[in-house]
Amino acid sequence: MKYSYYPGCSLHTTAKEFDMSTKVVMTELGIELKELHDWSCCGGSVAAGVSHDVGMAMAARNVALAQKENLDLLASCSGCYNKSARALKALDTEAEKERITAILSEMGISVSDCNIRVRNVVDVLANDLDISPHIKKPLTGLKVACYYGCLLTRPADITGWDSPVFPMSMDKLAQACGAEVVDFRSKTKCCGGPILVSKQEVAFELTKKLLDEAKSLGADCIVLACPLCSTNLELRQPDIEKNYNVSYNLPILYITEIIGLALGIKPGKLGLNKHIVSPKTVLNKLGF
Amino acid sequence: MAVKNKKFLFGLKVDRQLDGDKMNREFLDKVIAEGGEGAAIAACMQCGTCSGGCTNIDLMDMSPRTLVLMVQRGEWEKVLKSNALWLCTSCYICTSRCPRGVRPADVIEAVKAIGIRQGVENDSTKFNQIFVELVEKRGILFEPELMQKYGGLQAMLAQAKLGIQLTLKGKMSPLPAKIKDPKKFSEALEKVGKQ
Ligand code: SF4
Ligand code: SF4
Repeated sequence: MKYSYYPGCSLHTTAKEFDMSTKVVMTELGIELKELHDWSCCGGSVAAGVSHDVGMAMAARNVALAQKENLDLLASCSGCYNKSARALKALDTEAEKERITAILSEMGISVSDCNIRVRNVVDVLANDLDISPHIKKPLTGLKVACYYGCLLTRPADITGWDSPVFPMSMDKLAQACGAEVVDFRSKTKCCGGPILVSKQEVAFELTKKLLDEAKSLGADCIVLACPLCSTNLELRQPDIEKNYNVSYNLPILYITEIIGLALGIKPGKLGLNKHIVSPKTVLNKLGF
Repeated sequence: MAVKNKKFLFGLKVDRQLDGDKMNREFLDKVIAEGGEGAAIAACMQCGTCSGGCTNIDLMDMSPRTLVLMVQRGEWEKVLKSNALWLCTSCYICTSRCPRGVRPADVIEAVKAIGIRQGVENDSTKFNQIFVELVEKRGILFEPELMQKYGGLQAMLAQAKLGIQLTLKGKMSPLPAKIKDPKKFSEALEKVGKQ
């Protein structure tokens, strides 16, 4: 299987470990990724709130580029995935297609009729593959809280491969890796990502609730698939600790990182040395 | 007041769900015209399921349920003044739970865009606009520039420690990335924004 791989702005910067681990894990599982040539930002969660058409055109540009390659578009970042899938759906709607196509053609990009799908790495790993036979180093004894957040599985008519309110894909993947999964009730509550800058205290409050629950469940780490969630949960963890005078020290790992460890891939190759909140406790527990 | 134009479909009222007399299509149509999928507003039966699951309902002065009702009634001023627009995180819980297929998150998104064009200004509109401008400029976002344009030197200093850590880990480049032909890209998008 071969995909057009869309890293988005974060996977080349703050979420480098997500990029590294996605690539090695997919290669290990026999899936070929070809980085989408000349990709651009999907517009995130805010562009459509400034202008619907601008937001759609930003995301649709990447879909059109993948059509040209005649390959399904694969994104690791939940946000990039969601916005691209939404743009694909819009391109399938008469009224919207016309407007979007007009903007893209001004950019010199044409929309073709080639039918491609937009996929997320979690969907592919959980639903297209069976990772169990590849597990070389089971994550025995590791307690993880799987956090899905908002855009990975919502709304269901754009995503559709797992429950929008109580998904299980990552839980099952973590279990297949031999980890113990805690019953994380807040797994689809929002971390406040899109309002992190403009309403910081509110976003901190939302993120704190997630950290509190994961901690109270005795999780060794939170596992997720979104760089924006990770910004809140990991990069802002020290700020939140300071603001509320608490201490978490809770590693935040991408799902592809823990799968990679279970596949027997070296932590360095997965980018585990790139975290701001050190995953040392996790690695120690696993005997690395 | 006489109730005119009731619409029935196999005995099920598909429009004017709650207080039909007060419905004002003008605003509803504006939201629909923005595009996207906020088109099922008229089907809202005011059950409150959306508000029940909303991420930030505690802090909102107008719940997603009320917001949909106010759009139905054409209470545009109230809608635009509401902090709900800017506390909404586009998390789609409301949309996933609505039993009537109304998409409050998409309605809110459309209202925001119309509001910005009508001149609403606050921290959130400022951030969202700078974000879009910067993406339009190069096709790829450069986060340090976003922070600097939004919060000035102070924001940069507040984030300096994290910035250094990220740079040392090879997770932040001092130079922005860009697409091949950013000029064409930005010209096409700027044109849309001005319409
Ligand atoms: S859940 Fe749907 S029908 Fe119920 S109040 Fe909200 S928008 Fe209206
Ligand atoms: S999308 Fe907005 S209104 Fe809907 S549940 Fe999330 S925060 Fe609330």
